[in-house]
This record gives sequence, structure tokens and C-alpha cells, in this order.
Amino acid sequence: MTLYKQLSFLVTLLLISIFIIVLGVNFKNSTDSVQEQLYADAKNTATSLSLSLASANGNISMMSTMINANFDNGSYQNITLMDMNGELLYERHSEEKTIDVPNWFIEMIPIKAPVASANVSAGWNPIGILNVQSSTSDAYQHLYEILCSLAVSFSITFVISVVILYILLIVLLRPLKEIRHQADAISNNRFIIQEYLPYTKDFSEVVKAMNIMVKKVEDIFNKANDALRRQSELMYKDEATGLYNRKYLLNKLPEYLKIDAQIPSGVCIMLSVNGVQEANKILGRQKVDKLYEDIARMLKQHSNDFENSLVVRMNGTEFFILLPRCSEVNGISIAEYMSHASDILLSKDLDRTKTFLTFGVYEYNHKQTVSQLLSASDYALSQAKLFTDKTHVYFHKTESDAEIMGKEEWREAIDFAIQHNTIHFDTYKAVNAETKEVIHNVLTIAIISQDGQKYSYGKFIAPAITLGLDIEIYKKALVKIFKEPNAELKGSVCSLRLSSQYLEDTLTFSELKHLLDKYAKDLPFKLIIELPDKALSADSENLQLYKELFEHHNIQLGVFEFIGESEDYRYLKELRPAYIKAEIEYLLSQTTQDLSSLQVVADSIGIDLIATGVMDKESLEKLQAIRIDKVQGRVTEMLS
Amino acid sequence: MFFKHLLVLLLALTFAEAEAYVSQSIIKNVEKKYNKFAENRFIDMQQRLDALKNKSTIIKLNTINTFFNQVRYKSDIQNYKMSDYWATPWEFLARDAGDCEDYVIAKFFALKYLGIDPKKMYFTYVKSTQFKEAHMVLTYFETPTSEPLILDNNNRFVLPASKRPDLIPIYNFNGDILSKAAKKAHQKTTKKWDDLIQNTKKGKI
Repeated sequence: MTLYKQLSFLVTLLLISIFIIVLGVNFKNSTDSVQEQLYADAKNTATSLSLSLASANGNISMMSTMINANFDNGSYQNITLMDMNGELLYERHSEEKTIDVPNWFIEMIPIKAPVASANVSAGWNPIGILNVQSSTSDAYQHLYEILCSLAVSFSITFVISVVILYILLIVLLRPLKEIRHQADAISNNRFIIQEYLPYTKDFSEVVKAMNIMVKKVEDIFNKANDALRRQSELMYKDEATGLYNRKYLLNKLPEYLKIDAQIPSGVCIMLSVNGVQEANKILGRQKVDKLYEDIARMLKQHSNDFENSLVVRMNGTEFFILLPRCSEVNGISIAEYMSHASDILLSKDLDRTKTFLTFGVYEYNHKQTVSQLLSASDYALSQAKLFTDKTHVYFHKTESDAEIMGKEEWREAIDFAIQHNTIHFDTYKAVNAETKEVIHNVLTIAIISQDGQKYSYGKFIAPAITLGLDIEIYKKALVKIFKEPNAELKGSVCSLRLSSQYLEDTLTFSELKHLLDKYAKDLPFKLIIELPDKALSADSENLQLYKELFEHHNIQLGVFEFIGESEDYRYLKELRPAYIKAEIEYLLSQTTQDLSSLQVVADSIGIDLIATGVMDKESLEKLQAIRIDKVQGRVTEMLS
Repeated sequence: MFFKHLLVLLLALTFAEAEAYVSQSIIKNVEKKYNKFAENRFIDMQQRLDALKNKSTIIKLNTINTFFNQVRYKSDIQNYKMSDYWATPWEFLARDAGDCEDYVIAKFFALKYLGIDPKKMYFTYVKSTQFKEAHMVLTYFETPTSEPLILDNNNRFVLPASKRPDLIPIYNFNGDILSKAAKKAHQKTTKKWDDLIQNTKKGKI
């Protein structure tokens, strides 16, 4: 219970107590006053009537008449006349008249009508005592009216007091609300500095302390972020040419060589500068360095026409250019064009038989591994050095695997899954190897074709992308998750990957929004949507919409394909993903310092670091040696 | 000789144990607040009352009437700056002044102390035809139906009512009788009477 609620409850209780006590005291005073008044009335009547009775000179009938006259014209319960020996001379008594007062009230407030007495004389001699008792009916009526009016006025005062007190409480506790907001933010790894210091000293001290703490954590994050940024610049860049280096290529290539790569094939060109030693002797080191810069510029120029192209300096004399969606013919002609252009770049002073550029052209596809691609490229380059004509270009074609199914068969199977909603989810686990606890279940999409054959994500996604049906599959999968959630996953945490293409599609957002608005609150498990690091760090306008949508529906984000290529990691602070998933190769290739900075950034904002593609215990041990315990991959099956 | 000494001792014990009408503390306070003369009046009163203890009713009535009639008449406005105030017997004697009610009160309590049945005494509101004003006297009824004796501050003699044609009776009041009835009903008698009893008990001077 919040302090505000506790205080509100206490204040209300206190007010109710005060009002009940004050109401009780007020009513008691009124009751006493009414009783006093009853006596005073009876006393006045007794005195005045006894004076009148004195004129009757002891005549009983006359005195009775006088008593009757008084009794009938007043409100009395009883009037008696006794002689000096206490014998009754005359009496009038009335039953209580009916009054508009509830019985509970009469039973609760016993009013005893007081009896007032006066001496009655005849001439000099006292002849008796007159006793007068007022009626309680009017007193009850009067008291009941007092109670009602007190209750009404006290209720109004109570309501007004409560409202005023609540407003005061809200004003007084406003700083506390801010403090709570800040505390919540800290719990959620968000860093808010409160500029306004509350007037209340206690609150002010707390805010100051929290501000200092937040500032310190933010400083830690900033320092780690700066270190990571500087390291990534040094780690991935070739200083002389400004191109990416071999390490970057190794970490980046998996993005091009994955099963659901958006561009399944292309051409890579390996370029080697031969005869550098001779060139250095003739031109000098500076001019040769200039030559490298010119080559870099030329490569960039030719790669610009290709989306997601890569230009890398592999080592001192070798360059690599990856051109996705580039055809064999186009690739060869680009290499040949560059070969001709290099003639202009190379100084006329150089011996062209010794100093020249060779180009190994290789057509790759996304099913290959990184090492296969690099070996084939190396092979093409070595062939270019050995056998090519004066263009120094050698083309090496990839040996394509025989496809299980033809394009049309795939279209039929995927269309069937979309039309008949035969989309299923395979579940894998991300596990904390230290505690053996499941961090979350990874949901991957699978489809079933018309002949009942199940195709896993790895099998169907590449043809789906080629056929342009991948986004439709994602849409259907999301509908399935929200409309027909798997009851077995109730209470667990699940993750689902969305591709950059899905996020970039302009029509997907409104459909997903509609879906989440309607079904997200009823989802029986906690869902984490995984998005590629590249898309998140780019922070496009479209992505911003998705982030707001997911946040609104309390759906956390996860990052995958993290290779630390961003220029700034502040997007992680703003995004606060549940975790970052990076390939094991990337994590193991980091220096201690690089990894430490990454871990500080992640720890300071409460993000888990999960290694993906961990296949065996040996790899797991290597990861654990660098303090990474959270893993995903085949090894998780060996942990349970 | 032995019997004489024993009698003296018994009498001394009897008087020592008998409660005085006015306590020593009241006498001391009177001396402090007023003067030695006031104190002397109280001592004189106590001595007279002591002397009256075994006298007849008529002697008691006459002596008390005469003793208190020596006090000067003074209206409540002049005396207490109030239009109507029932003074305690101590205030009345200490100030040596009072109005007709104060004489009646002082006589009533003194006679009650002397053993006169309070049921036989009434504060009687009368009209004085001589002074043409409202007046109060103390009336004593030997029996409820007998002719009352009038103790009046305007007359040094205690006379039967028939000898006082200048007085027309209006109303009799006996606080003692009414207070007994009131006590049964847990009520007050009258405000003036109740205040008077309370002030007298407190020794208000």
C-alpha cells in the first residue's frame, strides 16, 4: 500500500473518529439541554400554577379546574396535587402522543422527564404540593430533528474536510510521487534526474541521494559506452583507408549467410595488390599509402550501387568487396572495370609486370558458411594471380546444392500454410547455464504443407523470402500467437524474432496495432519481440512507432545479431531491451577490455547478454570463462 | 464531689462533640476578609445559639428574630450589585446588611440549627400594605393548619398572622420539603434554593 493510501486511510479514520466524537458530544449537550429545558418548563408551570391555586383557597374543584386548564393547554405528561401528608388530591396523566420519530431513537436515548414541585397555599397556610412533569414527546421530536440536522451538517463538513485534506495530501505528497516515479525508473533501469528538490527536508534528502546514485550509474554507463565506442572504432576500422577490417568482415558475414538472409546471393571480389615491395622502393611509402586510399575510394564507389554492400581491407595488400544481389555477369564486369581503372591509379613509373592488381570474383549464396565463402574467395584470388590474362580477373562459381523442392512447389506449400493457417511454433530454450534456469522460450515459426509435411523455419524461410511471402508468414504467425496462444506456455516468457523487412513494411504496423489492442492484454505468457540490432540502432521513424506500440502493451524488446558496430550505445539505454543476443563467435573474438565495456554497459542498464549458436559444452566453458552464462543453441539440451 | 466532676466532664464532652453552627474556619475567614467586628458578630451569634439550645420554641423564635433584626437593611443592588440575590447566612452577618430574603434565610437556618422542624417554616412571599411593596417573611406553623407566627425584619415582635393585617400572603416556599421531592426524582429544587444551599455549605462569605 502506498504512503498516500495509508495516510488517506488514516486521515479518513481520524476524521470519522473526530466527527463521531464531536457529533456525540454535541448531541449529548443537546440532550442535556433539552432535559434542562423540560425541567425549567415544568418548574415554571409548577410555580405559576401553584400561585393561581392559592386563589382557590383550598377549594378542590376550583383547583382541579385550574389544573385541567393548564394541562389541556400545555404539553405535560403528569400533574398531581398532594396534600401536606402526601395524599393524592388530584391527578392528570396523559399517554405519550404519537410522534414522527423512529423507535430505535427512543430506545437509544432514554429521556426521563423531570418532575418539578411547588408549595400550594391557601392564605397563610400551606395546603399541599403540586408536582408537574413535562411531556417527553416534544423533547424526542426536537432531539431527533437536532440529530438529523447535526448529521447533515457534519456529513457536509466531513466531505468538505476530506476533500480539503486529500488535496493537501496530494500537494504535500507530490514530491513523494516524483520520488516513486524515479524509484520505478531506477528499478526499470531508466535514469531520471529530478531537477526539482522537494521543500520537505526528508524528501529533499532522498531525492538528492537518488539523483547522486542515478548520476553515478549514468556516468558508469557513459564511460563504458565511450570506451566501447572507441574500441569499436579501433576494432573494426583500418586507420589508413577508413575501411572496415577483417575482424568486422568475420563478425558481419553471418548476417549475409543466414537462412533467412533477405538477399540470398551475390558476388564478392577479393582484390590483391601485388609487388608492393617494388612499389615502395620506386615510389616511397607515402605514395603507396596514397595508392591504397585511391583503391579504397574506387571500391567504395563501385559498391555504392548495391544495398548492404561491404568494403573491407583484409590486410596490408588485400581488399574485399561484397556486393549482395549482384549477378555473376555484373560482378565480373565490375572487376574487369576496376582492373582497367587500376591502370590509371598505378603510377607510370611502376613496372606493370611486377606491380599490378588481381581480382578474384566469387559468386556466393547465403547457405554457405563464413569459412566456405572466404576460402572460395581466396581460391578465386589465387587463381587470378596464376592463370588470368592481363585483366587479372578470375571468376569462381559456387557449387549450388540441389534444392529439395522447386520454386513452385515452395510457393504451393507456403501459400497453403498462409491460406489454411497451418503455421506452428517450434520452441527452443535460452538457458542460464549457471543456474540451469530457463530464461525464456524461443518461438520459431514452422509451416505444414498440404501433404502434411512440416517445414522448419530454416527450411522454408529462404524460399519464402525469394517468393516475397515472408512478411505474410510473420503476419499470420503473430495473429496465431495472439489469437490462439499455446496454453502450455502459460506463465512463461517467450520470444519471437521479427525481421527488418517486417518492420520496414508500411502496412504491417496498423495490422499489428489492431491485433495488440485487441488481444495483447489476454496473452497468457510474457512476450519479448526480438529485433535485429542493426534495425534498432538505426532507429527509423517506423521502428519508433513499433517501440511505442510494444511499450504501450508492456511487450519488451530483445536485441539479436549484435556485433557492436554502433557508433553509440545510448539507444540501448533508451530502448532498455530485456537482453542482447550475440553469436558465440563474436563474443569469443572480443578482447577482455572490449567485453568488459560491453558487460558494464549491459549491467548498468540491467540488460542480459545471451550467447547464441552455442553448440557444445566446450564452447560453453569458453563463454563461462569470460563470465557469459546465458546461452542459446544446441548446448541447452545438454544442460537440463 | 465525684458526681459533680463527672457531670462537668460529660457536659464538656457533649458540647465539644456538638457541631457548631458556624465553623472556626468561617470565623477566621470572616476576620480576614472583613474585620474584627464581623468576627465578633459570628462569635456572639454562636454563643447566643448555644445558649438557646434548650429553650422553648417561642423563645428561640423571638431571640433569633430579634438578633437578626439588628442587621441593617440594604438592597441587593447596593449590597451585591445584583437586582435579586439570596445571600448565605454568613454573607448576611459578615456584611451586617441584607434585604428581606436574607433575614428570612438567616433566621431559617439558625432556627433549623436550634432544632426547629424545617417543615414547619416557610419562606412566605407577602405584599406589605404598609410599604406597598413585595416583601418576604419567615412563617412558622406549629401544625399545618394552625395560624402561622410571622418573623419579619420590619417588626421586632413575633406575631400571629392575624395580628399582621399589613401583610397579604401570596406564596409559601419551603426548600427543604421541595428538595426532598426533587432528590427522589434526581432533580433540582429551584435554582436560587440550590445555589443558596451550595454556597452555605461552601461557607461563602
